[in-house]
Amino acid sequence: MTALLQLESVSKRFGQVLVADSLSFDVADGATLGIVGPNGAGKTSLFGMIAGDLPVDSGDIKFDGRSVIGLNAAARCRLGIARTFQVPHPFTGMTVFENVLVAAHQGAGLRRAAASNLAMEVITETGLDRHANTAAGRLGLLSRKRLEVARALATNPRLLMLDEVAGGLTDPEVAELVAIVRAVNARGIAVVWIEHVVRALLSTVDRLVCLAIGQLIADGEPRNVLSQQRVKELFLGTESTVAEVAQTAHAADTGGTTAPREPATES
Amino acid sequence: MNWINAIAQGLLLGGLYALFACGLSLLFGVVGIINLAHGDLAVLGGYVAVAILPSVHTNALWALLFVPPIFGAFGYVSQRTLLQRSLENGPLTTLLVTFGLSVVLQNALLEGFSADSHSLSIGKLATQALRINSQLSISYLRFGILVVAVVVLAGVQLLLARTSVGRQIRAVADDNEAAAISGVNTRHIAGIATGIAFVTVAIAGLANGMYSQFTPTSGSSLLLFAFEAVIIGGLGSLWGTLAGGCVLGLAGTIGAQIDSTMGTLIPHLVFLAVLAVRPSGFFPARAPA
Repeated sequence: MTALLQLESVSKRFGQVLVADSLSFDVADGATLGIVGPNGAGKTSLFGMIAGDLPVDSGDIKFDGRSVIGLNAAARCRLGIARTFQVPHPFTGMTVFENVLVAAHQGAGLRRAAASNLAMEVITETGLDRHANTAAGRLGLLSRKRLEVARALATNPRLLMLDEVAGGLTDPEVAELVAIVRAVNARGIAVVWIEHVVRALLSTVDRLVCLAIGQLIADGEPRNVLSQQRVKELFLGTESTVAEVAQTAHAADTGGTTAPREPATES
Repeated sequence: MNWINAIAQGLLLGGLYALFACGLSLLFGVVGIINLAHGDLAVLGGYVAVAILPSVHTNALWALLFVPPIFGAFGYVSQRTLLQRSLENGPLTTLLVTFGLSVVLQNALLEGFSADSHSLSIGKLATQALRINSQLSISYLRFGILVVAVVVLAGVQLLLARTSVGRQIRAVADDNEAAAISGVNTRHIAGIATGIAFVTVAIAGLANGMYSQFTPTSGSSLLLFAFEAVIIGGLGSLWGTLAGGCVLGLAGTIGAQIDSTMGTLIPHLVFLAVLAVRPSGFFPARAPA
């Protein structure tokens, strides 16, 4: 399978802080990739550079085989790169429907009825249909996060980058979100997901990378990555074990209950 | 003048103020530029008409056909070249740049047209009025300006509320970064918004030229009234701007009714009073989320 997104020796620093140190990796078409790492590791900046909000210092970013370094954020969006913001940025004065409609018009390049239809589809897909005519500024946190996803989806992306959409949500809410993201991926959209809520990642992604000080310190099958000593030290701390994380992931997987299930009682 | 007449004339004058304020409000609310050259641009609109009209028609109403489109294009180009660059350097730079533009415009107009006052002739229409009774008569011109103001404000409001471009303008005003990642070409949209603002400035400048006289330096007082109308009405609310314009107009004519020397002072005092009591204006656009 050809790579949808390719990063080649991408570097970026803010003064003394290195957020990307000759970073290279690929994301395959339709794949899922989770990104973990300590705060300040450069995860969000990475999204900024891929989406075009943030210029790179050096290196190249290719989307579908073609360099996008010279394109602005709007042009990259039209190519099929979509992102959400960690702190939701809705257009507060507009309704949920209008928020999504802007993306369907401009990002997906649709007109009139086609744009409205796509907007309504993704609003339903993200479970926002009850709020379609609510002013986005009045939404609660979960709905705002859903709106971030809906607006990104309305641009008809091939790559969806999610920035901590599960942060601050309760377990059942996380489970709903995981279900939405899986459905999106099932439609063939590649998903790159930055998340501290590891159980949400584990139940969604096939591949996990750990980013620290602008470098990939681990890359591979999620449970393998999490069991590596350096990842544990940097990210998980000493308390959590992979078994615990995997268990809660299983809970999020199967119903999203708060309490981890006892495997023994199930048989 | 009696009281009823003062009120009627005040409301009509409010239309002119609102027309001025509309572009200022739009440019600040959407693009984030406090345009100190706003009044001078309106005056420039009058002079463009003075320069081109002789080769078109003797009646200045014809200027409404060509000055606003010229200004629309001028607005788009100045946003994409001058204003966008200054915006990227922070809000203070746009203040300095538009202030500089104001100085340049005033002096260029002085150089080109001298300090003599000009006005735009619209023939007999300028003096005709609908006589309602012995004390109250409504000038067709003033009434026409109020109607134009309402149409312009309603048009801008409809454009923002109902069209795709309008939604993009609101999205950019709300969150530039989020608009960009939703595929909105933010600079193009800022250019269009500036173009629309400049069209309204041109209409206001022409209306002012038909209504009274203008000189190269009369922009500053126009800017002051526009600012006051926007702030009394509440930032970002176009209907509030119309209300703000009418409050200023009423304050002026009622003030003049009390004492003929107070006509200029009273509107500014009313503005100060509003600023003290309701600093966010009477109809602020929306409560922050």
